Amino acid sequence: MKTLARAAALLVAVLRELADESAYRRHLKAHGVPHSGDEWRRFCDERLLAKYTRPKCC
Amino acid sequence: MKRILGTLAWTGVSVLGAAALAGIALRRGEPVNSIWLVLAAACVFAVGYRFYSKFIAAHLMALDATRATPAERFRNGHDFEPTNKWILFGHHFAAIAGPGPLVGPVLAAQFGYLPGTLWIIAGAVFAGAVQDFVILFASVRRDGKSLGEMARNEIGKVGGFTALLTLLLIMVILLAVIGLVVVNALRASPWGTFTIAATMPIAVFMGVYLRFLRPGKVLECSVIGFVLVMAAIFGGQAVAASPALAPVFTLSGAALAVAIIGYGFLASALPVWLLLAPRDYLSTFVKLGVVLMLAAGILLVRPGLELPALTRFTDGSGPIFAGKIFPFCFITIACGAVSGFHSLIASGTTPKMIACERHARPIGYGSMLLEGFVAVMAMVAACVLQPGVYFAVNSPAGIAGATPAAAAATISSWGFPVTAEQMAALAREVGEKTLFARTGGAPSLALGMAQIFAKTGGGRAIIAFWYHFAIMFEALFILTLIDAGTRVGRFMLQDLLGHVWKPAGRTSWMPGVLGTSAAIVLAWGYFLYQGVLDPLGGINSLWPLFGIANQLLAAVALCVATTIVLKMRGLKYTWVTGVPLAWLVIVTFTAGWQKIFSPLPRVGFLAHAALLDRGARTAESARLAFNDRLDAVVCGLFVVLVAAILADSIRVWAGILRGARDVRVTEAPYMASHLRPEEI
Repeated sequence: MKTLARAAALLVAVLRELADESAYRRHLKAHGVPHSGDEWRRFCDERLLAKYTRPKCC
Repeated sequence: MKRILGTLAWTGVSVLGAAALAGIALRRGEPVNSIWLVLAAACVFAVGYRFYSKFIAAHLMALDATRATPAERFRNGHDFEPTNKWILFGHHFAAIAGPGPLVGPVLAAQFGYLPGTLWIIAGAVFAGAVQDFVILFASVRRDGKSLGEMARNEIGKVGGFTALLTLLLIMVILLAVIGLVVVNALRASPWGTFTIAATMPIAVFMGVYLRFLRPGKVLECSVIGFVLVMAAIFGGQAVAASPALAPVFTLSGAALAVAIIGYGFLASALPVWLLLAPRDYLSTFVKLGVVLMLAAGILLVRPGLELPALTRFTDGSGPIFAGKIFPFCFITIACGAVSGFHSLIASGTTPKMIACERHARPIGYGSMLLEGFVAVMAMVAACVLQPGVYFAVNSPAGIAGATPAAAAATISSWGFPVTAEQMAALAREVGEKTLFARTGGAPSLALGMAQIFAKTGGGRAIIAFWYHFAIMFEALFILTLIDAGTRVGRFMLQDLLGHVWKPAGRTSWMPGVLGTSAAIVLAWGYFLYQGVLDPLGGINSLWPLFGIANQLLAAVALCVATTIVLKMRGLKYTWVTGVPLAWLVIVTFTAGWQKIFSPLPRVGFLAHAALLDRGARTAESARLAFNDRLDAVVCGLFVVLVAAILADSIRVWAGILRGARDVRVTEAPYMASHLRPEEI
């Protein structure tokens, strides 16, 4: 049961990383700012700009 | 005791793998169950990971767990962040798994299941995973530098510039060929076209939802997007059945190509948050989910393989693409065995997130093995189809015949019986008008997947849903790749043009953005459109071109890797990267030579152009001959560019071996890691 719970937690963590939600949490922590719509948009603009200048795999 | 048990267990895995390989290789004339392919791959990959990757990690790289990685040294909460090994494994795998490992094996199945499967298994263990692992390690030791930067530093300026130019050309061919896969999947399919068209407003809704309504709730938004896409699949069925709406969404190949070209331009010029990013999130989750579903489906159903181990087309006369097993099987399956594009990911985001050097082994080597597994599953999905059906779907009308009766007769004459009635019934069952000449691999993969999924529950009553679910899954992430690829191509072109004229290099200068976007879209759009008009289906010429280009990029990565290994360890271990490099050079240069100069018109671009010139001169034959010559020039350019990098590398290697060159590696200096165990 414990192993299953750990696997589920890991899966959620992977999904959060893929969804950039973890990166956003790190961004808030690094800048010491609370979550807000403006902060998310600022984060998105920076992150997505960098993300989509790199080639995606075929 | 533990050691003895371990030895016994690994001996057992090795024997089982060898038995499974022998079973699939030697059994003739009786059906083979797909589970043997899965078992062979699983055992060989397990042994390869346990022993070969450990050998590379210990002897070639000397991975050092005490050394601080760029993620720790440059930690900024953005790009550089020490990340849990398994989270990063998932992240890296999601980044390397594209349509390549799914489509390539389906096309290579024209030789039978055996050649492609053996190449996937051997290629992944000895070439693909080695390339990914070594490049990831090299980038981690060099502050997360990209492949181009490493080429410039380790080989020289010529290598760096050539790598960038090669990559730009590869992007153009890649986008054209995957665009063609989508066009052929959606041609004359109102159900599929409606579903994919609906993903665009759904993505825009998701973009607005994420930006203004629920900022930051990406997972929540993706769940909503997924529900809407499912609804669109059901809506597509209603549209296809509607006499008023069906004609609106029944598009020809040319119309679909124009729509995709227009879409590519718009998507690359629009803000990323509006369309590209939300769809990218959605397609990533759908992709991972479907790969897991396919694995579970194959394990549950354990379908028998209908295609033989080897077909008559090993002689090079295949209808899907012409050419013998060597070299064409090895360039048709690129991703899944060895893919140059992976080296860009392994020197992109991933090295900046590795918390500990030792994680490079599961992430670099292990992720590639998992991708090899996806390729084996795609091979299984193609081979569960009856051979007659497989060839009817994948053979172009120009070869099999323009009418159902003619195509069925031609395919049956190859020894793969199929009837027009059988194909019509199958098309009705999956909600399509026809399944003849649906080249590109996506429709046959969708058919195979639908058969497997239907057997897990619901039966043939819902096979149409599964078919369109599979088409949606393939088209969704291919279109995301087209958006992102066009954008990346635009940045690369701006980077190149910026050296000639400064304003053209500014990414904020709108005329520059629009001009370079248009140039990139027109470049891949031209090849896509010509592929759609090609009576031989387009895939016949474009997929080998893409395969050659992708493997040549892998050769560039392995040149860089071999240079680094030579500098680090001398000649002793250069065979680890040198042997796969030599193999890729032999395969790609042979394929390139044959595609350009083969006297057989079905193989050689120039011979085909000459054949067209000798026939009745029409506008169409002149266009086809011009395209053949253009393809020959592009293919030649790829080979010449990579030959330049190879020659430059050999010059550097000779200098190192003679002692005339500096053998110092350009690694960042050692710094001890201070990460706490819970951060690793």
